[in-house]
Amino acid sequence: MPIRRSQRLAARREAAFAALLVAPVLAWLGATLLYPLAVSLALSVENVRVIGSVGRFVGLDNYLSVLGSAAFWLALGRSVVWVVGNAVVQTALAMAAALVLEQSFPGVRIARTWIVLTWIVPTIVIVIVWRWLLSTSGGMINPLLIALGVIREPVGFFSTPASAMATLILINSWRWFPFIAVMLLAGLQRIPGELYEAAALDGASRFARFRRITLPLLQPTLFVLTVIGTLLSFNVFDIVWLLTGGGPANATTTLPILIYRTAFKGYRLSEAAAMSVVATVLLMGLALIAVRTLAPREEAR
Amino acid sequence: MRRSVAITLALAVALAVLAILVILPFWWVMSSSVKATSEIVSTSPTMFPRSFTLEHFEKLLGGSDFPRFLFNSVIVSLASMALTVAFAVLAGYAFFRLRFPGRDLLYRAILLAYAFPGIVVLTPLYGMMSAAGLIDNPLALVIVNVTFAVPFAIWMMRAFLAAVPVEIEEAARLDGASRLIVLRRIVLPLIAPGVASVAIFAFVSSWTEYLFASVLIQTDAHKTIPVGLAGIIGQYQVDWGLMLAGATITTLPVLALFAVIGRYFVAGLTAGAIK
Amino acid sequence: MRGRNFVFASLVAMLAASAAAQADPVQIRLWHMEQPPQRVARVQQLIDEFNKANPDIVVKQEPQNWGEVYAKAPAAIAAGNAPDILFAIPDFTTVIKGLGALTSVKDFVAKLNEQHHFIPATLRPYEYDGGVWAVPLYNMAISLWYRHSVFDKAGLKPPQTWSEWRKDAEALSKAGLYGAGLPANKQLYTDQTVYATMVNNGAAQLFGDDGALRFDNPKTVEAYAFYKDMFKYSAPDATNWTWGEAEACFDAAKCGTVLQFTVISTYNAQGGDPADLGVAAVPHNDGETASNTIAYSNAAMILAKDPAKRKAAEAFISFLLEPANYGRFLNMEPGLFLPATEDGAKAPSFWNDPLAVKYKSQIETMIANSQNGMLFGFTSGKVFPAIGAISAQNILAGTLQRIVVGGDAPAAAVAAGQKEMQEAAK
Repeated sequence: MPIRRSQRLAARREAAFAALLVAPVLAWLGATLLYPLAVSLALSVENVRVIGSVGRFVGLDNYLSVLGSAAFWLALGRSVVWVVGNAVVQTALAMAAALVLEQSFPGVRIARTWIVLTWIVPTIVIVIVWRWLLSTSGGMINPLLIALGVIREPVGFFSTPASAMATLILINSWRWFPFIAVMLLAGLQRIPGELYEAAALDGASRFARFRRITLPLLQPTLFVLTVIGTLLSFNVFDIVWLLTGGGPANATTTLPILIYRTAFKGYRLSEAAAMSVVATVLLMGLALIAVRTLAPREEAR
Repeated sequence: MRRSVAITLALAVALAVLAILVILPFWWVMSSSVKATSEIVSTSPTMFPRSFTLEHFEKLLGGSDFPRFLFNSVIVSLASMALTVAFAVLAGYAFFRLRFPGRDLLYRAILLAYAFPGIVVLTPLYGMMSAAGLIDNPLALVIVNVTFAVPFAIWMMRAFLAAVPVEIEEAARLDGASRLIVLRRIVLPLIAPGVASVAIFAFVSSWTEYLFASVLIQTDAHKTIPVGLAGIIGQYQVDWGLMLAGATITTLPVLALFAVIGRYFVAGLTAGAIK
Repeated sequence: MRGRNFVFASLVAMLAASAAAQADPVQIRLWHMEQPPQRVARVQQLIDEFNKANPDIVVKQEPQNWGEVYAKAPAAIAAGNAPDILFAIPDFTTVIKGLGALTSVKDFVAKLNEQHHFIPATLRPYEYDGGVWAVPLYNMAISLWYRHSVFDKAGLKPPQTWSEWRKDAEALSKAGLYGAGLPANKQLYTDQTVYATMVNNGAAQLFGDDGALRFDNPKTVEAYAFYKDMFKYSAPDATNWTWGEAEACFDAAKCGTVLQFTVISTYNAQGGDPADLGVAAVPHNDGETASNTIAYSNAAMILAKDPAKRKAAEAFISFLLEPANYGRFLNMEPGLFLPATEDGAKAPSFWNDPLAVKYKSQIETMIANSQNGMLFGFTSGKVFPAIGAISAQNILAGTLQRIVVGGDAPAAAVAAGQKEMQEAAK
């Protein structure tokens, strides 16, 4: 059967071509992620303290002490609060923004472009902006709130555990919601307009149209973005580190902060490596579940 | 469909809130960067500057190598962008247009890489870079930035490639074009908006990166903007004027760049809708 | 022919030799943590002068950030690209020494001491384990800052004891100020203010002579309880403060008193009146006889291994300590860095700075206060390696946060703090 043979040959050629295209990325990621991860693994079963010093093999001691320490579980708990808080605030804001930007109005193009302003400036600028705005010596927010009668005395937004976490979540969400909004907007625009028109003819209210058409059709995009947002916010380090350093009283010490502190402030590199490995396993597990929904399906021939 | 007055009003309010949320903080920062220090720290803040001075900018530019940081950032970001785009287009085409054994597994593995906590590889990467003699070398930043941008960039390619009809490719193949030619001459032009979006995403990721740049770069000559700025604002004194000037001057080039290419980002992302 | 060949060959040899002499000046990389632009500019000035006077040496500065250098320096040492000179504070030196990266500079310091006479308190934190591990460069000590006009208006006198300070703070708070601008951040500045309180209640020693921790004792608890009382009169965002915020609070006339190394340059920049700026020793508990304070002796470590580099590094450090240059070096931030040498304390180059002229009396008080300076972990003449981790993790400040943020009783928090220190020392 010559046809089948030529088909097989074509398939093999296709695979070879694909391998050629994929190989560079795989090699790159292998060298910059997998290999370092292996180094971390090796480090995690030794007792290296200051970076650069030598340690000896201690087996699973670091894992036992990490899993047995309250600090680790507390940090993990704070990471969960951080991630959930960000996911909720970010997605709600993004959804609202996307719905507004989907409408047509004069200047909509400009609005759609510039909405991402908060996402394109470096974190350090975000940090400066909010450190200043929220400070009690010079900032804008305290006087504004006093003028509006919301508060009577200047408040320290980072001074109590709960308000510090909440403020950080708001700032981080403020930073990321436009990006999510733009992705959502792209999803919204893929929903055929005829669906809405038909529903409107049937007399469905705006809200009903949103609930029956927009939400279900947007759900895959929404889900993907929530997952991505979750993974992303789990890894956020700089904004927290630069704004609160994990304080007050460790209230904003999420897992990445704890890892950094353990490695570079506590001089327990191996313990930090063990934490990293546990964090990686947790995140990868979470991502693995999510990825099932992201894998290519109908797009491929 | 005509909008009712109530809806129009609601839309206007929502837009105003959105504008305030995004723009006001930046307006405050930028307008305050030209205020005299006494006005910046005054207990009754002003919406529009009452005083005007450029002393904060003079101090910033006179005492630091800010133009150098800016230049470094642009170079590093452009290089990271080019590499990321190349990788994303090639790998994206393979993942979403070709069939090969292990495809789904590999794609999942790459998506997993997106979730990877950067902090985990910080010290091992430092060791590797120093073994390779890349400490204090902008190339090290390019390597790291590509690593963290490329997984999402590949994912972004999906929608754009899906919008290219398979038939066009097949027709070209029947005409005897090789796969590479098809990719370059036919697919690439069709996904140009997607490429623009990926490029902007990669550029911005690199532009804002702080953690690795703070550890891998040691001298002022090679610092990027985020690290350079973090150094200038310092830890000992709160010089709000200097910090606001730094924030302003860092934001301006981004604004300029975005004014030129920004619309491609959103347009590119929504292009899948307009077939 | 032969003659010509010989001439040619010797010409080549001479050229090569002179090229080697010219092309290979000794390169010295200097890391310091004085990043503000004006300080970098002043250091560069001195470097340029030095390089010009010493054509065979090229010094290059690479300013770093205190927050990052604890990670970066060990990493750089491990990777073999350590700087040749690294500025230090005492606890940082223990970390670097722990890596085996330091050679004693005892002889060099002895030589400098003959010329310039180090103030003993600046040298002490670097003398242990039979060596001297860094060369003192400048001293910093915490004082109490206030405004005469504010105190006069409220009918108050600058406090000398804790009960006076508490009374003053209460009165100032009633007048609409933050009576005591004290920080409670888990950060070095708070470590310093907390310790400045501890040393004024006889709780200076963190370790006993045998190396056992003696942080958890009634004197420490009493100091924390006092700090907690005073914190009522601080600003609401003080749990997030570093040096800058406290200084800004004072400069904006919102804080009645602050504990600070200096406020001179920013106070002056905002048009403050030199005659109105008051500085005093940190108040002591009523039972104590005199005030103490926390002092940081900053120093330079020489990491270079190569003898030629070490010699070049020593030449540069000697250059900085020359009285003609030393004052200009200290005045990279006028009114902050105090002389570590006796001839430096008299040097015209120090006192001729316009700010030093304007604020002479305040600087003299600062220097006087610094004579009673101590530093946690470096009080007994013996240094225990654990101090590096205790400092880096800001356990003194963390203990305070347990009290003022977490609401723990001082005794319980101090006990927990001691446990944390033991953990860090393991």
